[in-house]
Amino acid sequence: MTSAGMASGFAAAERVAGGAPAPVREVYLDYAAATPLDPRVLSAMEPYLTRCFENPSAPYARARAARDALERARADIAHLMGAKPDGITFTAGATEANNLAFAATDGGVVTDAAEHESVLACAKARGGAVVGVGADGRVDPERLRAAIGPSTQLVSVELANGEVGTVQPVREIARMVAAVRARRLAGGSRVPLWLHADASQAAGSLSCNVTSLGADMVTLSAAKVYGPKQVGVLWAGEGVRLRPLVRGGGQEGGVRSGTENVAGAVGFAVALALAQAGRAEEGRREEALRSRLEAALAAEFAGMVVSGPRSPKRRLPGLLHVSFPGLEARRLVVLLERRGVSVGTGSACAASHMRESHVLNAMGLPPEVSSGSLRITMGRPTSVDDIDYAAGQIADAVRAEMRRMGLTPEGMLDRAGGLAAGRRR
Amino acid sequence: MGEKVFLGLSGGVDSALSAALLVEQGYDVTAVYMRNWSRDLPGYRCPWADDLADAERVAVTLGIGLEVWDCEEEYRRTVVDYLVDAYARGLTPNPDVMCNQTVKFGTFAERAFARGADLIATGHYARVRRDPATGATRLLRAVDEHKDQTYFLWRVGEGAFSRALFPVGDLRDKAEVRRMCAERGLGVESKPDSDGICFVGPVGIRTFLLDTLERRAGDVVEWETGRVLGHHDGAFLFTVGQRRGLDLGGGPARYVVSTDVERDVVYVTADPACPGLWCTRLDLSDVRWVSGEPPADGEYLVRTRHTGALRRARVEAFDGARARVSFPEPVRTVAPGQSAVIYGGLVCLGGGIVEPDEVAYNR
Repeated sequence: MTSAGMASGFAAAERVAGGAPAPVREVYLDYAAATPLDPRVLSAMEPYLTRCFENPSAPYARARAARDALERARADIAHLMGAKPDGITFTAGATEANNLAFAATDGGVVTDAAEHESVLACAKARGGAVVGVGADGRVDPERLRAAIGPSTQLVSVELANGEVGTVQPVREIARMVAAVRARRLAGGSRVPLWLHADASQAAGSLSCNVTSLGADMVTLSAAKVYGPKQVGVLWAGEGVRLRPLVRGGGQEGGVRSGTENVAGAVGFAVALALAQAGRAEEGRREEALRSRLEAALAAEFAGMVVSGPRSPKRRLPGLLHVSFPGLEARRLVVLLERRGVSVGTGSACAASHMRESHVLNAMGLPPEVSSGSLRITMGRPTSVDDIDYAAGQIADAVRAEMRRMGLTPEGMLDRAGGLAAGRRR
Repeated sequence: MGEKVFLGLSGGVDSALSAALLVEQGYDVTAVYMRNWSRDLPGYRCPWADDLADAERVAVTLGIGLEVWDCEEEYRRTVVDYLVDAYARGLTPNPDVMCNQTVKFGTFAERAFARGADLIATGHYARVRRDPATGATRLLRAVDEHKDQTYFLWRVGEGAFSRALFPVGDLRDKAEVRRMCAERGLGVESKPDSDGICFVGPVGIRTFLLDTLERRAGDVVEWETGRVLGHHDGAFLFTVGQRRGLDLGGGPARYVVSTDVERDVVYVTADPACPGLWCTRLDLSDVRWVSGEPPADGEYLVRTRHTGALRRARVEAFDGARARVSFPEPVRTVAPGQSAVIYGGLVCLGGGIVEPDEVAYNR
């Protein structure tokens, strides 16, 4: 018998068909990586890409419309965050906003190992302290506190993790930071201490009210809430002095030079308003889809590992992170793309470097488990039928790979150890 | 289940078709993506994530396993360091020759056999023939002479070839390879040929060398007269016969005759007949013979460039891994550090590294 004959029915079927046949259905399940522009956002942006194209800084009356639109967008976003408009700085995306937050301080920084690459890279460049996270991805405020030294000026913790969906206890961390700050003041220290929260992944399903978060700086991204890519904001509270990374004409209060992206800002304001208005209902809907998918897969594969907090309150509603111990996630992605199902293997950054995910590493997931991980994220367009189709295709792909590798359900269960979904129930 | 073959799968057209052909021939194929060193610096886009994704698609289509082997350390040590060191010494190396010897037919082969492989395979355009009478294995040029890659394989010994398969070496031409890829739905048939040094990528060798080696400015000097015609950023950036990039501000086309990295001088000439640009003899060092034994002194075919002309020449082998190639009439000078590869008919016998030419150097 040839290797081709030994190949799984799944792969063999593809070969008989000669290349990639058009899939029955296209199901995109990678909304944590990118979201499509909402049509309402597009139509709000359109005038500022065409008719009202003028430079907001131009002196003639016609430019006034662009200037007003930009400031309206700033005010709308500020309102949605429960903040003042002059605290909002528009940036080219969340990565830049995170960099800007770090640039506001000189001293030591403290963050956690599950943060986005942009935060980890900034922290590394500053020789910052990186604390570990628990097996569910949660950072312990006490561990952060222990890492804060007398010269520490910044603590940076995301509101929600984009890879396993863990919601971090930002409010609790804010209280801890406030206590350290109060002690410093009482002790006569003038070293500032700020809390920065990257809320990019959270804005679609959680509140980003800066007062209730208790943070001093908050990052948001339009690209994760059905707005345009390369548009973000950094909100900074009154005591924080931002310092420019991009110098030039002095736009954005001198903090971020460059002709303003008026259409992007307008689009972001509309996108954020839609996201925040619908977040409770959409969160419940996505949570139900997620549970449905998790249940369907767990019923098929007792050895499957589900990562992230068990409590729905402590994780993003539309994110399901599953691992099939012993399998290669990259192969599952290829099998699924042929059936029209697009899923991620982790954060986009981890996927492009083909390194092990730093988040899963930090959570202590064994490599044999983490290498078979899929990050499946639902979004507004995702329907029950999409989920049922995807569940069937994922199950087919996993079974095909198990056959190819001669991996039995018991074998997968063994490799999963105590982490298996079937044993956690 | 057939014999166990470990195949180097790069995500390119040739290795993809090789995988498919081996599967069709009934071999038990394990594909391996060799992850090589890449420069982790801004400006160097690392293409290997895309290549690996393509390799993965091919493996999934064929229903074969794909493993990623980290060859970064061997690659950096034996290919990148070799390349940088050779350029620093004023030579023009062939990094692909070293990669084949130390990575593909070195580390990869050793690990494959240690894992129980009966055979290894790559997507090289070359053929191996086993002589049933003597048991010897010979390396032959590919059927497609325009794609033949034996120029890069001369340092690999018979021991490795005796357990190697080159499935595309027997195919008529690249168009046929692409057509066969398309027929099988492998999805890589329209990928461009990968030429050049993989780890340098689109930035080019010049930028890589300027980022890696210290700039050593010096004069561009007319070979015949010693007159200074201009300046350069480093003699290591130039190679014999080079015409472009001299930046001498007009005048006739000039060719590099030789470079002196000790004194930072690049010698050029405007005379295509300049004796420094021609030679009748190549002294080779670091000579290797595929069979392990030098051939008898005599007339052979010699190639000094990938797919370059096969010229008749007299070859004499000496002790100490040295040899001499004598051409019946003058040929263009070969840049020192390049490979000269020796053939008996279709059979690749071995080769050596071209030593600096004494005419060009002892002006």
